[in-house]
Amino acid sequence: MFNVVQKKICLLGDFAVGKTSLMRRYVEGRFDDKYLSTIGVKISRKTLFRDYGQLNLLIWDMTGGDDIGTQARASYLRGASGALVICDLTRHETLTVFERYASQMRALNPHTPLVLVGNKVDLIAERVIMDADLRLVSNSLGSEQFFLTSAKTGTNVEDVFTYLAEIVEKQE
Amino acid sequence: MTPNPPEKPPAPNPANGDLDSLSSVRAILLAEEQQRLREIERRLASIQHQLETEKENLEKQSGELYKEQQHLNELLHNTQNQVYQLQTELEILRRKAQSDSEGVIARVSPILGDMIGRSIRDSRDEMAEALGPVMGEAIRVQIRDSRKDMIEALYPVIGETVQRAVSEFAREFQRNIDARLRQTFGPQGMLRATLARLRGVSPSELALRDALPFTIREIFLIQHGSGLLLAHSHPGSHEVADSDLIGGMLTAIRDFAHDAFGQGNEEKELEEIQYGDQRIIIQSGRAAYLAVVIQGVEPEGFRAVLHKFISELHVKYESAFKNYRGDPASLPNLQPKLARLVMETTGGQTISGPMSRQKKVGLALAALFAILLAGLACFYLQFTIALYPIAFPSKTPTVTTSPTATPTYTSTPSATPSATITPSRTPTATITPTLTFTPTHTPTPTATFTPTFTPTPYPAYAAANVWVRSAPNFETRRRIVLLKGTPLIVLSAYGNWLEVEWQTPSGVQRGWVPAIWITLREPIPSQRITLTSTP
Repeated sequence: MFNVVQKKICLLGDFAVGKTSLMRRYVEGRFDDKYLSTIGVKISRKTLFRDYGQLNLLIWDMTGGDDIGTQARASYLRGASGALVICDLTRHETLTVFERYASQMRALNPHTPLVLVGNKVDLIAERVIMDADLRLVSNSLGSEQFFLTSAKTGTNVEDVFTYLAEIVEKQE
Repeated sequence: MTPNPPEKPPAPNPANGDLDSLSSVRAILLAEEQQRLREIERRLASIQHQLETEKENLEKQSGELYKEQQHLNELLHNTQNQVYQLQTELEILRRKAQSDSEGVIARVSPILGDMIGRSIRDSRDEMAEALGPVMGEAIRVQIRDSRKDMIEALYPVIGETVQRAVSEFAREFQRNIDARLRQTFGPQGMLRATLARLRGVSPSELALRDALPFTIREIFLIQHGSGLLLAHSHPGSHEVADSDLIGGMLTAIRDFAHDAFGQGNEEKELEEIQYGDQRIIIQSGRAAYLAVVIQGVEPEGFRAVLHKFISELHVKYESAFKNYRGDPASLPNLQPKLARLVMETTGGQTISGPMSRQKKVGLALAALFAILLAGLACFYLQFTIALYPIAFPSKTPTVTTSPTATPTYTSTPSATPSATITPSRTPTATITPTLTFTPTHTPTPTATFTPTFTPTPYPAYAAANVWVRSAPNFETRRRIVLLKGTPLIVLSAYGNWLEVEWQTPSGVQRGWVPAIWITLREPIPSQRITLTSTP
């Protein structure tokens, strides 16, 4: 029998780290150069075909930053099967706030896998967050692996979502 | 600064014979130079000749160029004149346009219309893009400056649009009323009407309320918090591809509204979202909620039905709803339950989608069968009608007679009960009708009888107040006025006259009236109309 499994995935990260661009690159296969700051939440679907049928990843792209009420965002996290915590490799402060997102997610969904993503790897000259920093944070999240991505060039975008989908499936 | 030339040697004396030798020596020594000199002189001459030729050519060309220049000057002058004239004309036109804008508009309008029409035809999108902002602004300005004119200009368009919408609604309304009327005559309908009456709601108000259109487009059953879709039903045949995304977004909107306006009150929920003529009614349970997309006004008790439905679902499946992690295998199939809910709440009124191919073919075959059946029925009917007189010959004598004739029949009865009688009629009969009838009396050899036959009655009524005459012509005496609408029986016809009989308080009346004033309920067969003869 054809089975359609749904999984809710959240994209977390500070303002303008590239959450929406990553999602667009993954779901629609393109990068939009026009800057789009997300207001509230936007939900997209990515279908992955499996032996048992299909896996629908419902990706919740949420507003980052302190300017939008964090309570509303907290309610959006309920029932998530996994999350990507995204930072901007050219801005150090985007890595330091990861703790807040991680604790929010874990408070609502204790065993949800979180994967750290360093985005904008194409901006080599402007990079300020190094691999060592990322490894440290990733370990604190309980994840063995972190990913360096670029929504602009598409580097590792597919891989990071595939990795998260696989660990979400395994955990279930 | 030029250097001083060297001093010349003393010149030789030519008086002696040394002169010749000097010349010879000179000739010997300077032969080559002289040769070269001559060569140079020849070349010089050639060059001079060439120069002269060139000079002549140049003079000739300069003459031509001069002519060209003259010509160009003339042209330039003419062009300048023309430009000046055009500028003058333009200025005149500009002044004219300023003073006579109406005339200019009248002259330019036909061309302008054509140009715009062509532009719209050739590059529609560009025109729309170019005109869109200007038109919007123009309309705004026009509304601001001359509101009344705009209203007058737009009234026919808006009026027509509104009229169309209203008539569409009226049609739908009428259909609903018809459907409701069909349903009202059941015991449930009667009971409901009675209860409504008892509560002070008139049957017409109840019918009006019931006739308001109501349809369910979709039902979503969504898990709280995660927004994962548990079940979905769309009663029409239209497929909704993004039902899982809609589930998520509805949850996000609901959570946002709760966080923004709930003010910490957990009991308060977003209950309804309206978009155009559609509404999303939300009925919440502990672990899941229902979102019902409806059109129109929901019937009384609709929310109570939804509440009951979600409560019953929770009684059975609450733990399954709570533990749902996106795998449908962990849930029962709830889609039929949602479909049943739709049927119960709408009485089967759902948005019907486009008909499937199979349905269309079935419908076409059914229509064909119905046509065939109707055709057979018609044929059978016609056949029966045609055979009826043969199968059941008429035993009632049909007489076409003169109005004043009181026929006296003299029969010669035979011993057999069936007889064919040829009556001799007096006094004015011109036709000898052949009567075939079965007398009911027991004949005696001497008996003379007047047969009483029943005329074939043709029900009719008077189309107007008309004089009744004693015979079928206008010369005879007018007896009585037959009132309009009086029910009649047509006894016989003569040309354009009918003999009629009708009931009055004083008894049965009989007489002749022109056929045009009588409306027959069924036509008189042609064989029973006397066409000729004088009465």
